[in-house]
Amino acid sequence: MFKDKQESRSSQNGGNQTIIAQGVKVEGDFHSNGDVIIDGEVAGSVETSQSLQIGESARISANVIAKSAVIAGEVRGNISALDRLELTATSTVHGDIQTSLISVAAGAQINGKLTMGKGVARTSEPSVETEESED
Amino acid sequence: MYCYLYDEFIQENKRFERELLEVENRLTDLGIAGKISRLALFRNAEEMIRDEIDRGVETIVVLGNDETIRKVIDVVADSQVVLGIIPFGPNNKLAQLMGIPEGVGACDVLSARRVETIDIGTVNGRRFITGLTIPNFKAEITCDEQFRIFATTRAELEIRNLANLSDPCDGILNTVIRSAVKKGWGIFGRSEMQESTLPMQSLAIRSEKSISVFADGEELEGTRFDIGIEPMAMRVITGKQRMF
Repeated sequence: MFKDKQESRSSQNGGNQTIIAQGVKVEGDFHSNGDVIIDGEVAGSVETSQSLQIGESARISANVIAKSAVIAGEVRGNISALDRLELTATSTVHGDIQTSLISVAAGAQINGKLTMGKGVARTSEPSVETEESED
Repeated sequence: MYCYLYDEFIQENKRFERELLEVENRLTDLGIAGKISRLALFRNAEEMIRDEIDRGVETIVVLGNDETIRKVIDVVADSQVVLGIIPFGPNNKLAQLMGIPEGVGACDVLSARRVETIDIGTVNGRRFITGLTIPNFKAEITCDEQFRIFATTRAELEIRNLANLSDPCDGILNTVIRSAVKKGWGIFGRSEMQESTLPMQSLAIRSEKSISVFADGEELEGTRFDIGIEPMAMRVITGKQRMF
């Protein structure tokens, strides 16, 4: 099942899609104009004008800005999803969230302030600094 | 006006005599025969081509393999002449990607003259067409001077310009990192290859120890590699079966 998922991701990888898989770490300000899928580690900031998908195995210590986001892993930092944010049952967020529309599955953990409403995510940038990992 | 550049190994090897004769006859039949220049040990391919371009040649056709193309890539890209290929012998990955059959079949592709303008990659100022690979990747990548990437496990790096799933006309180098990630516990654990893909325009590879980089199959060694792309830098004749 996992293999099929990987294969379908690879075949879709035309255009500007970025995949950061397990076994890879990104440090710094990561900006993209295409869809982004993260299963690895990221420290710094992540910004995309398209959709962002953070997998179960992902470890993010970064402020995140995206048009829409689906989060299944751990994020230490503020999240700003302009259109829509989906937190799955395995997700953990340590930081503030700003979005227009949110979906939270049972089991998801949010440790931070949630600000919602039309245009909220469009007008305000996350203000809190990224928390340092305690590891 | 066409100029045909024969690689040394074709002239020396009797195996290609018959095929070469057939190619020459077919080119004459198609009305695209031209001047023949022959590469030799102490002849500089770039100088030879520059002389031909000064005489009004607009299309350089290489008779040889990927290695022959490597000898002419700089001068072809700088002068904006059209590059054609008639593949001979082994190591013809580039011709294959461009949909050019071996031997006589390539003459018809040349005659149809389907010209595509493609990007060219550069590594430390040296140009490459297909891409470059680092089989044992233990270095650090700085991308577009914004962020750094490194593999946390055993990995290999591939940067693609012209490849099966990579468009050589988009101004982007597809950077693929394949990392081996262990799944499962103890003796039941096994390694699975995970593929990261990042579209980039420039990147820098830095390593503490000297590493080997293979650009279009040619090995380069060093600790610092600056990689970039020259968009729409070369015009090539391609076949219908091209893979991009």
